[in-house]
Amino acid sequence: MRFRPGKYLPLLPVWAAYLAMFLVGKYMPGMWELVAMLAFYCALGQAFNVFLGMTGYVDFGYVAFLGVGTYGMALGITRFAHVDGIGFGIIVIGLVLAVVMATLLSLAVGAVALRLRGAYFAIATIGVNEGFRYLIEGARIWNGSEGMIFMGELNDVFGRQVASVLSTFWADVFVLVIAALAALVTLIYMRSKIGYALTALREDEDAAKVMGINVTKFKIIAFITSASLAGLLGAAAWALKTPYVFPPEVFEIHYTVEAIIIVLLGGAGTLIGPIVGGLIYGISKYYLAIILPGFQLLIFAPIIIVIIVMFPEGVVGMVKDKIRGTALDKYIL
Amino acid sequence: MFLEQLIGNLLQGLVLGAIYGMATMGLSLIFGVLKVVNVGHGAFIMVGAFIALWMFNALGIIPILAIPVALVVGLGLGFIFYYSAIRKLLSGPELASLLATFSMGVLLEEVIKLIFGSEFRGYNWPVGKIDLGVTVLPMTKLYACVGSILVAVLLYIWFRKTRAGSAMRSVVEDSAGARVCGVNVGGVYALSFALGIGLTVVSGVLLTMFIPVGINPYMGGGYTLKAFVIAVLGGLASPYGAFFGGVVFGLLENGSYTLFALIPNVEPFALTRFFSFVMLLVILLIRPTGLLRTK
Repeated sequence: MRFRPGKYLPLLPVWAAYLAMFLVGKYMPGMWELVAMLAFYCALGQAFNVFLGMTGYVDFGYVAFLGVGTYGMALGITRFAHVDGIGFGIIVIGLVLAVVMATLLSLAVGAVALRLRGAYFAIATIGVNEGFRYLIEGARIWNGSEGMIFMGELNDVFGRQVASVLSTFWADVFVLVIAALAALVTLIYMRSKIGYALTALREDEDAAKVMGINVTKFKIIAFITSASLAGLLGAAAWALKTPYVFPPEVFEIHYTVEAIIIVLLGGAGTLIGPIVGGLIYGISKYYLAIILPGFQLLIFAPIIIVIIVMFPEGVVGMVKDKIRGTALDKYIL
Repeated sequence: MFLEQLIGNLLQGLVLGAIYGMATMGLSLIFGVLKVVNVGHGAFIMVGAFIALWMFNALGIIPILAIPVALVVGLGLGFIFYYSAIRKLLSGPELASLLATFSMGVLLEEVIKLIFGSEFRGYNWPVGKIDLGVTVLPMTKLYACVGSILVAVLLYIWFRKTRAGSAMRSVVEDSAGARVCGVNVGGVYALSFALGIGLTVVSGVLLTMFIPVGINPYMGGGYTLKAFVIAVLGGLASPYGAFFGGVVFGLLENGSYTLFALIPNVEPFALTRFFSFVMLLVILLIRPTGLLRTK
């Protein structure tokens, strides 16, 4: 396949936005906290979009992959902290574990759930995070409901100073990198056979099947990709940033809700949608938390209903209609 | 000793199962007629629980009398949600209606949290108990069980004997055919959605009569999962299938709890919740049409 850079132009505004977020956070005093939160929401949307946006299937158990990723990093740090000479290697081990565990869980869930269509798929996934949480708590796996705290291990390995910078700065930078990576993966998929197959199956699964597309294969590809990105995100944004993990916190369905809101708000199946959605959602949540603490969901729930009923294409969908045919068109996808 | 405990738990499971079954009929009714999965199901159960709680604690009205109130509130909520959102989403992709019902659930949870706060509450309605030897059954649980069976029977009669009931059954069979025969399909959709929500809110009242504690805005999540397992057991589209699915589930849940409690060093309650999730996946995989269906 010949490499044609023109195909990848829509990546420019996306990566530029992430770079801008980094610069704003780094050089404008007091902004880092907000940028870190926005980065998390953008990355969450970007990773979730790979599956929800491209296939049109709703995975209500998405947060389970973030939770498993968090456990992957936690296990990497706690099990390897006492081995000499690894140093920063434990972070790498943690990331690898996070991806591997999220991939394994997505294979197990996908093998069952992806045989099912539409409503049945949603029903099968809604219990994934609860099921996994109760398995960990019930069978006392990885300390069960007591969870794991590994601040001490991080301090032992890196020293207090470095460990603190790791959790307050590098973890967030890493989240931005994951978001950029997820965007790249999305575009590569969109511009390849995978994207065309997924578009066909999203529009009409039976027709796609009749045309000879192996729909199950492409659904599984999208599902695993999305899940392993979620695993990475959990490892960076949760395990590294706040060095502890408790089952009720990491398997909290509200994160799935947030991911759905972000993707829909921006525009499902578009490349730049998750950033737009993540920024709008994150900024409004940040200020709502100041004005009306504790009641963000009360405001967001009706907003989702309104979006679904009135603007099913999201913000990007509307903007794209406006700029069709202009010079901007090839930068927005 | 163990056998006695198992039989006692199974009896409790049978009583609870009838209530579970009733609590799932609304979900199956809505899916059967509109092909919409109410992902916010548990939140409507929670609303019923709060109606029972509030009427008992604030007004001193016994939960049995809360049932008609719950039905009216449920029908009202159903019609409001149907005409404001669901109606416009029926022709769209499945994603739209799934997300809409999900958001409705979240909205209800947040509204109830705004009014009542998020702490765990409960009420105490002392009306005596029966000692069955192997287990003690409070009268409230028995009332709830009888009430559930009564609702199921009434619904059955309503489906068979009334015009609206027949119209609903005809839409389930073939909505285009029903339209040709002069059935107001849009009206049937609205009524089925409202009735489904009404039944679900009523079941919330009945559930608190079995478990009168732990009432809080987020109690519905667990019931949503259970209702899905039950609905799938019964074939997802059939309210009666759901009722029997509920009985089977109540027995399985309490039976498995008793068995998990034998394993040392585990938390049996959490494992039971995990078990219901595994059951959901297994049934979806081997028998997506439900255990009762032969086709």
